[in-house]
Amino acid sequence: MKKIALSLLVIGSVLTSCSSDDDNGASEPQVVAPTTYQFERDGNSTVSFSGQTTRIAMGEEFVNALKDDSYTESQLDGMFAHVDGASDFANADLNASDKSIRSKVAASKDYYSANTTEANAIKSQFDTWISDQVTDVFPNWNNTASAGTAGQLQQAGGGSIRYINAKGFEINQLVAKGLIGSLMTDQILNNYLSPAVLDEASNITNNNNDVVEDGKSYTTMEHKWDEAFGYLYGAEADPTMPSLDADSFLSEYMDRVDSDEDFTGIAQTVFDAFKLGRAAIVAKNYTIRDEQAEIIKENISKVLAVRGVYYLQRGKSILAEGDMASAFHQLSEGFGFVYSLQFTRVPGTTTPYFSKSEVDAFMAQVSAGNGLWDVTAETIDSISNAIADRFDFTVEQTVN
Amino acid sequence: MIKKALILLAIVFVAAACSSSDEGPGTTNDNFDRTALLTNLADNIIVPALENFQTKLSDLDVARGNFINDINESNLNLLSDAWLEAYKAWQHIEMFNIGEAETQGGSAKGFVVFFNIYPVTVSEIENGAASGVYDLNSANYHDAQGFPALDFLIHGVAVSDTNPIEKFTTNANAIGYIDYMTNVQSQMNSKFSAIINDWQNTYRDIFVANLASSSTGSFSKIVNDFVFYYEAGLRRNKVGIPAGNFSNMPLPEKVEAFYKKDVSKILALEAMNAVVDFFNGRSFDNSTNGEGFANYLDYLERSELKTAIIDQFNTARQKIEVLDNNFYQQVNTDNTKMTEAYDALQMAVVLLKVDMMGAFQVSLDPGYQDNDGD
Repeated sequence: MKKIALSLLVIGSVLTSCSSDDDNGASEPQVVAPTTYQFERDGNSTVSFSGQTTRIAMGEEFVNALKDDSYTESQLDGMFAHVDGASDFANADLNASDKSIRSKVAASKDYYSANTTEANAIKSQFDTWISDQVTDVFPNWNNTASAGTAGQLQQAGGGSIRYINAKGFEINQLVAKGLIGSLMTDQILNNYLSPAVLDEASNITNNNNDVVEDGKSYTTMEHKWDEAFGYLYGAEADPTMPSLDADSFLSEYMDRVDSDEDFTGIAQTVFDAFKLGRAAIVAKNYTIRDEQAEIIKENISKVLAVRGVYYLQRGKSILAEGDMASAFHQLSEGFGFVYSLQFTRVPGTTTPYFSKSEVDAFMAQVSAGNGLWDVTAETIDSISNAIADRFDFTVEQTVN
Repeated sequence: MIKKALILLAIVFVAAACSSSDEGPGTTNDNFDRTALLTNLADNIIVPALENFQTKLSDLDVARGNFINDINESNLNLLSDAWLEAYKAWQHIEMFNIGEAETQGGSAKGFVVFFNIYPVTVSEIENGAASGVYDLNSANYHDAQGFPALDFLIHGVAVSDTNPIEKFTTNANAIGYIDYMTNVQSQMNSKFSAIINDWQNTYRDIFVANLASSSTGSFSKIVNDFVFYYEAGLRRNKVGIPAGNFSNMPLPEKVEAFYKKDVSKILALEAMNAVVDFFNGRSFDNSTNGEGFANYLDYLERSELKTAIIDQFNTARQKIEVLDNNFYQQVNTDNTKMTEAYDALQMAVVLLKVDMMGAFQVSLDPGYQDNDGD
């Protein structure tokens, strides 16, 4: 049954591929995706994304450190903008790496290669969050927070203690959820799945002729696609058959959205698109490859939007119950996702679902005055509706 | 059953439609007169620009000789002026990494390694002046010669000195510094005369005659050189690296002419002029517009692309013009203006590297592509 569905899908893809004008002309090869994300050349795996796995691991240590008031600003800066050999992390392998998180924040080819001014503003936002956490929140770690004063608040019923800034935001949540957009989503959607990267220089010719990179088993194009894959599945124990929730970034929230029955199947859709697109590269069928890229762009964008609206609505409900610590926690997660919407990608276009200025306006709206201490249910609903309206889901569907 | 037949029919139809398409890119050339283009580039731009540089390099040598014969502030200032004039003339030839220029230096950077690798490594100059042991032909000294080395020697202050001229007067290694400066100048003289002699004697005809459409043909090479110079020599080195676009933090000390300081904008605008004029096929003496990339695009009915490129060059120039004369200062006071200039320059890279090269059916030279190492 599954096989038939798949082959029908391929025929459909071939049809659309030829109806659009393509320069090569020759009828394109059929593509059949393997059951798992396994690809080999001469018996060697051609799949590699160690740089992505490394950055996810750096991200985990970094966002955990933001919740520990023993860290200094320069230590946190070091984790965010690691340089080869510096002892920034507990994990020695990470210290020995030449990768850094900061260099890949707002760094996609499509959005930022000719917009470094905006990219710098986004990187600076993260620097500012780190600095505010250390200078405003850490010194007030054991004080009780109130409107206009940073400190801690405990959730009702002896729940978790939340550490918030003077406006009620958990800065570590803004950073963690902001990275899901600015690092993972931006790199996947607007960099590695972009024809500007996949087809750069001689990539197509080399892929057509199975010319592999020096000393590697993969072609450059195969590798670029895998690097996109790695930002979602790079922390999986067995990435050939991902089980999700393997990190606290995109993997976790793909899983959460998929477990809402209104969105069940989204995780399989994305994984299947990664698999078929990769198989299409092996088969040299770039039309099917690009169609899969569009599917991934649409659905990963949707994960950020659904999860953002979900947290905003949760925050709104809890706010009404008067549990400020819990409400601020939800809202901080939610606005981290809202911030990340500027890195999404409307399929078939060169633009995000929400521009930087639109996202900045949302953030400014909720940061006015005493921030979350002042925010109203009307404001939360208006932002939630604005987001859902631009996607194909309703606010109600996100609430479960 | 009917459904199945329909699908089969569709596949057959699609296959037929697809197989009837035309040939892929890169196999054919249009009928544009590339000989006329190469002739204009060689005779009206490249060789005159090289001859202009030869004059300025020779003036620099004279100013250096005068300074060494009579070491005083006034002669040092005259030497600085001559250095700047030669440096400006250099901006018009750095892109011509072809022929003898390309084979010099033993790397893809070609002759640039003897003229303009910056930032300069001052310790190598100081050690060289102290010991007398250095080899300007060795790759170790690529970053200790050419205009950046002269920049330090003329405008920089050596360790233990308080002003630039002391290198040549009271410094314990004064003789060593004088020799170092002489050796840098001799290196530039000899490397450059080999290049211009080659153009004047044999290479001009070879260049014009090589109409191969492959990557070894003159047209493909000069297009690659032009785009690479724009992307790397101008966009990356002069603006992007100091602005921090290739690092975690801005690196203002990596500006061109760091020791003179107030000429970064002059040099960048000179480079911008060189790029625009070359694109337009404008003669070096500024008298005529001849065959160039611009009217080649017109011929290919891509005038909209030509206009887009020219507009973007103009935007980039405007963004450079609002910068401080001293880019080191600009990065430290308001780096946003610097990144805005970079962004405007980058917008044209896409037009040149993807659209224009595609229209010309020229592919990137092997080794051009830069990898960010993921």
